[in-house]
Amino acid sequence: MSNDAIIQVENLVKVYPGGTKAVDDVTFSVGEGEFFGFLGPNGAGKSTTMKILGTLLGLTSGKARVGGYDVTRDPNKVRSVMGFAMQEVGLDDLASGRDFLVLQGILYGMNRREAMARATELLDLVALSDVAQRKVGAYSGGMRRRIDLAAALVHNPRVLFLDEPTTGLDPQSRLAIWEHLETLNERGITVFLTTQMMEEADHLCQRIAIVDRGQIVAEGTPTDLKAEVGDDLVIMSVAGENDQERRLGAEKAGEMLSNLSYVDGVNVADYDLSVSVKKGGAAAPDLLRALGDVGVTVSNLSLSSPTLDDVFLKHTGRTIRHDEAGGDEYGQAMRQWMGLSRR
Amino acid sequence: MSAIRETYYIYRRNLKIWLVPATFLPPLFISGLLYILFAATFSEVTNLGGFATADYNAFLVSWIIVQAVVFSGGDSGFALLTDMMSGYFDKLLLAPINRFSILFGSLLVSATRAVAQAVIIIAIAFGLGVSFKTGFLGILVLIGFAAVFGLAWSCLSIVIAIKTRSVQATQSSFVLFFPFIFLTTAFMPEELLSGWFRVAVKANPVTYVTEAMRVLVVEGWTLTPVLQGLWVTVGTVVPLMLLTTWLYRRATT
Repeated sequence: MSNDAIIQVENLVKVYPGGTKAVDDVTFSVGEGEFFGFLGPNGAGKSTTMKILGTLLGLTSGKARVGGYDVTRDPNKVRSVMGFAMQEVGLDDLASGRDFLVLQGILYGMNRREAMARATELLDLVALSDVAQRKVGAYSGGMRRRIDLAAALVHNPRVLFLDEPTTGLDPQSRLAIWEHLETLNERGITVFLTTQMMEEADHLCQRIAIVDRGQIVAEGTPTDLKAEVGDDLVIMSVAGENDQERRLGAEKAGEMLSNLSYVDGVNVADYDLSVSVKKGGAAAPDLLRALGDVGVTVSNLSLSSPTLDDVFLKHTGRTIRHDEAGGDEYGQAMRQWMGLSRR
Repeated sequence: MSAIRETYYIYRRNLKIWLVPATFLPPLFISGLLYILFAATFSEVTNLGGFATADYNAFLVSWIIVQAVVFSGGDSGFALLTDMMSGYFDKLLLAPINRFSILFGSLLVSATRAVAQAVIIIAIAFGLGVSFKTGFLGILVLIGFAAVFGLAWSCLSIVIAIKTRSVQATQSSFVLFFPFIFLTTAFMPEELLSGWFRVAVKANPVTYVTEAMRVLVVEGWTLTPVLQGLWVTVGTVVPLMLLTTWLYRRATT
């Protein structure tokens, strides 16, 4: 992996002028073509790390390379291989969608005609051709994210950095963005996103790093990380004529199930069975069959799998709160600097 | 070169933003209004003597241009700050361009703005019957003064924008420009002023630029005041440009 890594970060540290240590000795790498995510709560250091990789912020110590170029020594080379879409979307509200993209193309070295052609292509890609002449300021939240995504793609970057690409969007717009990102990744673009949403990380990312207080606390595929936390639970209610019969059935079932090789544990409470297995979905039919064999019928079955929130909980003792509106450590530092938080 | 090309396109984009009527009309309206109001108020004052012209409209025109470019210098800082707040500035910085093309693209708009204002005010002056002693060439020099001196105030507002990062502070920077504009020989020649006011007027760089431009309108190619105005303009613009570039460099690393 380290050979064809497109993003390499070693012992990265970022201390803001106020003394806040936003990134505290972070090391990771992302392979070419990978879909990688930084999952963590507000203030975890996600945006700061991304802004350093995107050459928008200087680092305090450590090393960071994107596309083989050092972010401090070769910022313009880094800029030419990466696209960056921000959380606080940086759009030109007074320009039309098309003009905005054309200027982006020109700034990435295209001539006017090339930039026009590219803008048409991208507007089509993000399904904004119909509103291309409208001012960006009049776009909806979802449209703004899409035009921003298009702008980040103008120069066919190898890596796409996305800082919370769907925060604040309605579910429908979110799904639209997810689909675009999956398509792009299938075409070979490496995607590195930050998110506070477990579902997003789980749905999109092949590999994630869970970050908290400036440090990576866990790293792996979502499936492995969740498996690490614990088993799936198959929860079943035993059926019967009366409570007595159900209770007896549950006792019998519990004893029988705990002897099965793929069952890690069984908990019986009245006539409810909680069965710990590695893969709940795969085990459920087998469990039902085994119960049927001993004459126990089940009236209700549900499955409970560990979530990435459980992973986060295990590593930090807290849960990710992603219901808070906006803001990250960079935003907070900026607001403080601008005197906006001294109200 | 690519940096010039980038500057040009960023300039075009900024120019488009400025060319919204709601942005460029109010300052022109105020300049026109000030011109007409003050000209009407003081039309007979030239009888006091010392004005070098009997036409108060001609006496006033240089100051009208100066106040226009000084006041609208504040727009440069405001425009830059707006882009910084919206995140568009970061978007520009993300492109593999020379970051100074963003600054110079914005300063060029300031120069364009000053030229446009000067031209329109001169046209109004023509409408009011003012005759320009130094003719077409003099008018070009007048416009040149406006463009370069306007740049100094644009730099100042960009400095305020970068240092405060506050829209309110930058917007109200014109309050700071006020004394500079009015503590001048705006309405009376220096000989008719006295006391602390005269001292302040003599210490104010704006006075010398106003005078240099005025001489070109009402007197002719009188070298001493014109050169004085030129040195003051250069002496204001150069350090402010350097300061702006330095602060901008710091703010973008």
